Amino acid sequence: MATDTDILKIENLNIWFQMRQGFLKDIMAKDIKYAKAVDGISFNIKKGEIFCLVGESGCGKTTTGKGILRLVEPTSGSIIFADDETDPIIKKLLESEAVVELEGRKGIDLRKLTRKEMTYARQRIQMIFQDPYESLNPKMTVFDIIAEPLIVNRLYKDEHDKERRVKKALSEAGLRPPEQFMWRYPHQVSGGQRQRVGIAGALVLSPSLLVADEPISMLDVSIRGEILKLMLDLREKQRLSYLFITHDLSVAYVFSDRIGVMYLGRIVELGPTEMVIKNPKHPYTQALITVVPKPDPTAKEEKIILRGERPDPTNIPHGCRFHPRCPYVMDICRVGQPAETEIEEGHWAECFLLSPEKEKIKVPIEVKAKTKKSEKKK
Amino acid sequence: MALLEVQNLRTYFTTMEGTVQAVDGVSFDLEEGEAMGLAGESGCGKTTAALSIMRLLPVNGYIKTGAINFNGRNIVKMNPVRLRKMRWKELSIVFQGAMNALNPVKRVGDQIIEPMLLHEDITEEAALKRGKELFELVGINPDRINEYPHEFSGGMRQRVMIAMSLACWPKLIIADEPTTALDVMIQAQIIRLLKNLQKELNLGLILISHDLSVLAETCEKLCIMYAGKIVERGTSIHVFKNSKHPYTRGLVAAFPNIKGVRFMPEPIPGNPPNLIHPPKGCRFYERCKYKQDPCKDNEPELFEVEPNHWVACHLVQAGVI
Repeated sequence: MATDTDILKIENLNIWFQMRQGFLKDIMAKDIKYAKAVDGISFNIKKGEIFCLVGESGCGKTTTGKGILRLVEPTSGSIIFADDETDPIIKKLLESEAVVELEGRKGIDLRKLTRKEMTYARQRIQMIFQDPYESLNPKMTVFDIIAEPLIVNRLYKDEHDKERRVKKALSEAGLRPPEQFMWRYPHQVSGGQRQRVGIAGALVLSPSLLVADEPISMLDVSIRGEILKLMLDLREKQRLSYLFITHDLSVAYVFSDRIGVMYLGRIVELGPTEMVIKNPKHPYTQALITVVPKPDPTAKEEKIILRGERPDPTNIPHGCRFHPRCPYVMDICRVGQPAETEIEEGHWAECFLLSPEKEKIKVPIEVKAKTKKSEKKK
Repeated sequence: MALLEVQNLRTYFTTMEGTVQAVDGVSFDLEEGEAMGLAGESGCGKTTAALSIMRLLPVNGYIKTGAINFNGRNIVKMNPVRLRKMRWKELSIVFQGAMNALNPVKRVGDQIIEPMLLHEDITEEAALKRGKELFELVGINPDRINEYPHEFSGGMRQRVMIAMSLACWPKLIIADEPTTALDVMIQAQIIRLLKNLQKELNLGLILISHDLSVLAETCEKLCIMYAGKIVERGTSIHVFKNSKHPYTRGLVAAFPNIKGVRFMPEPIPGNPPNLIHPPKGCRFYERCKYKQDPCKDNEPELFEVEPNHWVACHLVQAGVI
């Protein structure tokens, strides 16, 4: 389904939040402290592709998603959006000053757009939120919720046109017939239908890229499949591309084309789904895959349970940021930042274990002994 | 004799709209040192069943009929004084939502020793000492016993909750969605902890979760609930490898397996029925893809398909599916 042209290219994106330490300290301090939620990540999403960001909570995956829509302001880096140049909205955006070159095509650096232009650009990049129980305003009818983006962007000719568009979005999101749902309030529809309302709200502007932040994690298992199927259908029919954010590797495995595994603000492993899941190279990815619960009571696989909890982005460890929890840690990991290494075509990971000069660097600590030891400590 | 025997439990709620038949004729038993999973969609009555066993139902809920025999005594008929003596001492619960279940203005140590002081003739010092031991047992640094809940992370708070449930060395622990709000890595830590404790202390454990794959890894026995009833009951291997009820089959198929083939999870279309006016026949009728006429009007009873594997479905009984 995915084509060869990029719709989004992110390069060296940083999203840092300044830490407040109190008024006096803030103005007197020589060095400002930052929580580095996203710390230099690069990836691309191809037209029609489902790119999945996975990781523990606090690893920066949601911040990345919000940063793309500039719902939080990125600190530095570029977010280049390039779509069909004949599209009137893209055409208009290409007249702005944010035009950059992307593989011989014209792209728009979203970071350089003004606030007003960004609002305009959001017609093509929309977001689906995690919790359909909280992201819908309980005082608005489904119709009002879906019509709101149209009102904000002044996109309808008259009331009749508005109704037509809302109905179209509702039936695209699988709420058919739309008349039956339009005048209900969010509490009058079920969980799965609520998420469909959320999706319809994004679809009404006919976007080409959807950032879906954990769209199924709050839903019952029996209806998760429906929402995933709907998203796949929309990709076929409307040539949508997705940035799918999830903590659930097994969902990422069945649903996405490519996976990026995030740890503490960086993508530590990236590649086609099958390769990353079946042949994980980064110790973090390997551990994550073993701890995913498997619906099979006879599965007898040793789990690699990492000690400790969610790492702290205000206090990133020196060297490889995974080293305090890594079962294979070597001396070099405490000092240097590992470089990206390509394992197979399009499959990258950031780890010293993969570097060709590994043997020269240091003898790795006996892996099994180390894991057993950490087990005992627990 | 089984540690816990639940027989034909019916728990109803009185609401403005009518009586909700949240748990409607549930039976199961649990031996000492055994782990049982209770699975189902939200609203199927799993938490209500757990609260009925603890007799901690909200004011509008009541146990209509049924017996809950714990160590040979019927909890349903027990007077409040006896009941209070038994709770926490013999059976305890890890509540859903560890993030919010602790009192934010009390130190965790004080919260842990509270049940000990109430139930046992023990000095505060001795209780605190045991509290520290419990902390060690669940993998928290004992020096943190004087901290407040907000100083702990989500996974650590869940450990505190587990330590608290162990305070008086009960024989049975009910854990209600103990890992739902946690990350996969923390989830794995907590599940391993529960499993180890259960083996070490020979605890009976009822694990309630909507996540079948978590239950597959922890429990020997499984009950699948749908709309207030148990539709399938058996060992985990029976339920997963030889699922009979169409709902169980659907549920098992809805979980992607990261070690298995790559396929999209199959949804179960439709929604569970309204439990104020539950359907006359099989409660799964509307969503069942095999449905036939007799299912509509006759309620299926649990029957034994193979030793210790029970299913409530007309079609399985008739050998159609």
